Amino acid sequence: MAGLGIGLAASLALSGCSGTADDGTVTLQMVESLTNPARTELLETLIGEFEEENPGIKVELVSPPTDQADQKIQQMLQSGSGVDVLEVRDLTVGPFSTNGWLADMTEEFEGWSGWDALTDNARNVATANDATYFIPYGFYGISLFYRTDLVEQAGFDGPPESWEDLLEQAEAIQDPASNTFGYAFRGGKNGYSNAALIIEAYVADDLDLENAYRLKNGDSMFAAPEALEAIELYFDLFERASPPSSVAWGYPEMVEGFSNGSTAFLLQDPEVIAAVQQSTAITEEQWTTAPMLVGPTGKAIQPLATAGWGTAEASEHKEEAAKLIQFLSEGDASIRFTEGNSLVPILDGAEDAEFYKTGAWESYLTMNASPETYITAVQPRGVAWWTEWSEKADAEIQQVLIGQLTPEELLAGWDAYWVEKWASE
Amino acid sequence: MSLQLKTTKERPSNAAGAPGPGTAPGRPAATRPRRRAFTTRRGLVILAFMLPAAIFVGVFTYYPMIAGSQMAFRNWKLSNLTDTSWVGLGNFVTVFTDPAFGVILGNSLLWVVASIVPQFVIGFAIALWLRRRFRFRGVYQALIFFPWAISGFLIGILFRWMFNGEFGVINDLLMKTGFIDQGIPWLAEPGTAMFAVIVANVWYGVTFFAIMILAALQSVPDELFEAAALDGAGKVRTLFQITVPYISTTLALTVLLRVIWIFNFPDIIWAMTGGGPANQTHIITTWMITMTQKGDYGVASALGLIVVALLLVFSAFYLMALRTRKEV
Repeated sequence: MAGLGIGLAASLALSGCSGTADDGTVTLQMVESLTNPARTELLETLIGEFEEENPGIKVELVSPPTDQADQKIQQMLQSGSGVDVLEVRDLTVGPFSTNGWLADMTEEFEGWSGWDALTDNARNVATANDATYFIPYGFYGISLFYRTDLVEQAGFDGPPESWEDLLEQAEAIQDPASNTFGYAFRGGKNGYSNAALIIEAYVADDLDLENAYRLKNGDSMFAAPEALEAIELYFDLFERASPPSSVAWGYPEMVEGFSNGSTAFLLQDPEVIAAVQQSTAITEEQWTTAPMLVGPTGKAIQPLATAGWGTAEASEHKEEAAKLIQFLSEGDASIRFTEGNSLVPILDGAEDAEFYKTGAWESYLTMNASPETYITAVQPRGVAWWTEWSEKADAEIQQVLIGQLTPEELLAGWDAYWVEKWASE
Repeated sequence: MSLQLKTTKERPSNAAGAPGPGTAPGRPAATRPRRRAFTTRRGLVILAFMLPAAIFVGVFTYYPMIAGSQMAFRNWKLSNLTDTSWVGLGNFVTVFTDPAFGVILGNSLLWVVASIVPQFVIGFAIALWLRRRFRFRGVYQALIFFPWAISGFLIGILFRWMFNGEFGVINDLLMKTGFIDQGIPWLAEPGTAMFAVIVANVWYGVTFFAIMILAALQSVPDELFEAAALDGAGKVRTLFQITVPYISTTLALTVLLRVIWIFNFPDIIWAMTGGGPANQTHIITTWMITMTQKGDYGVASALGLIVVALLLVFSAFYLMALRTRKEV
């Protein structure tokens, strides 16, 4: 409760920063969410270029620490002033728009020349539910990071292509006595995400691609018989081929486990490429990435997570805010931002750049070239209850890992949860 | 804070005859100063002086507290703030009927008791050791008190890596010294995870007891120890019959404060395990954070009120027990 007070105070203190000066200069308050120092620096450079092109507009960038950023943004939005442009994530667009905090930018973006340059995915996200709450700046796609040397030493010709291959190879590599483990299992924060990936790969033929937790027949994917097969293999991966302490592993431990050379396989976003490149424990020749793992269907589902820039409903400078978002979403600025942050680009043809054809990026090229095998689908991350779901699912995965719940009970619970939520929509 | 806590024993020092404020020169100190008449004007002046502080406390402490408390009786979910209807005790029912509540309440008690006992014993021992005069005592004091200056969250992150099953320093040390053959997944199993977070908390909180008890020990007059030595009292007897009784008020209040703080202290657990695995290291306040992360501010606020109620009841019983003991 004291936190709430501090939050209110902070919001009050921040409010009033946005406004119009006597000389007519408009100052936009912009807040980012997935902050890191290198990204902030790049964003500031781009903002500088925007200000040069638009002398009447100044932009003040607020960069709260990532862990608290969405809560800070929420407090600022709730206070009703002090923010014009904000980073909207697929996870936050649901609650933020339901609460009336996000402006529908359809009017400001009518006739925008940048629409034609966007990829289909980017355009779909930007116009979902017949409104434009944000323009995505890039996509976070998953690939399999793997140790080429360990795979070869274990007698395999190449990286695993399917989840079953992964179990086989990871088990062969697993050697706890020498502190070498097969798979960097995610049992901690956001552990549910990889469990969903394997289930989606197993039910890919029947999946509703617009709502990748649902089958085409309207059932939840957790009710499918293949889901049990998938989740059992997934927990086998933990039992037989992962570090025992990975029950508690979240993002930092997984990346550290791969970077320090103790785990051979890691499923992660491309932003990890830069982190692993800095490793002193493994060289560039010892690792690369492979496409996502397919299920018995021979297919994998690529859930494109995304975030972008939107305007606050309470902003008094929506036109100027739209100008800034348009600047960041087109041409050179967009390409530099996606490359600088290892994101899948939003601009058509941008993936043809040399940057995306080399090293660890090659697997993305392979996936792009086979859209029938690596199918892009939209997970229902925008629903208002997504955070509630992720917390529940994470805790229940840990319950299975420590033997408090069976995989059957887990799936039955998840199925009931989604069926009930969809019925209440 | 230490000065306030030891006033009960030290107050007599002012009775030696130093004139108090308002004592007229030349008059005996015992004479009461004449009180100025209370007029409306004087009342308004006092009010004017008090008003800024009262407004500040009201706006920044009581308003958020009351606003936050009423959330506990409403359907206050971040996912849809357009409907924050009154739900009465619904959020409390949600808490009490959650299968995890019993485990979490038990964890909260274990967290407090298992943290405070070693903190107290080790802190007391360090304070006794630091009371002696020896070379570089100041340096040792600074080193021992240093952890108290670090954020609990940062300490949690450090211990999270130290207790990491595969590349943590604790397993490494235990293996190198031959205590174990294979790394223990400390944070992955319910029993060891609770042990690990308590170890981190003990390490952190020992310092506080050392600071408080050392301050209290320095108020014990040397003459008492000299008299005890002359009477032939040994070290143990001096400790339990001179030192402890003399500083008992400070000890009691320090323990009370620590119980409240530890009960309310989610930082280390949150950073080390996030309450996992499967709620097994959650205490009420970390569970409250989980609820805010879920966006369920109604339930989180209900948990906040439950914490306040539990601590009020504990404090009342504790202080009553202390008073009864003194009267006996």
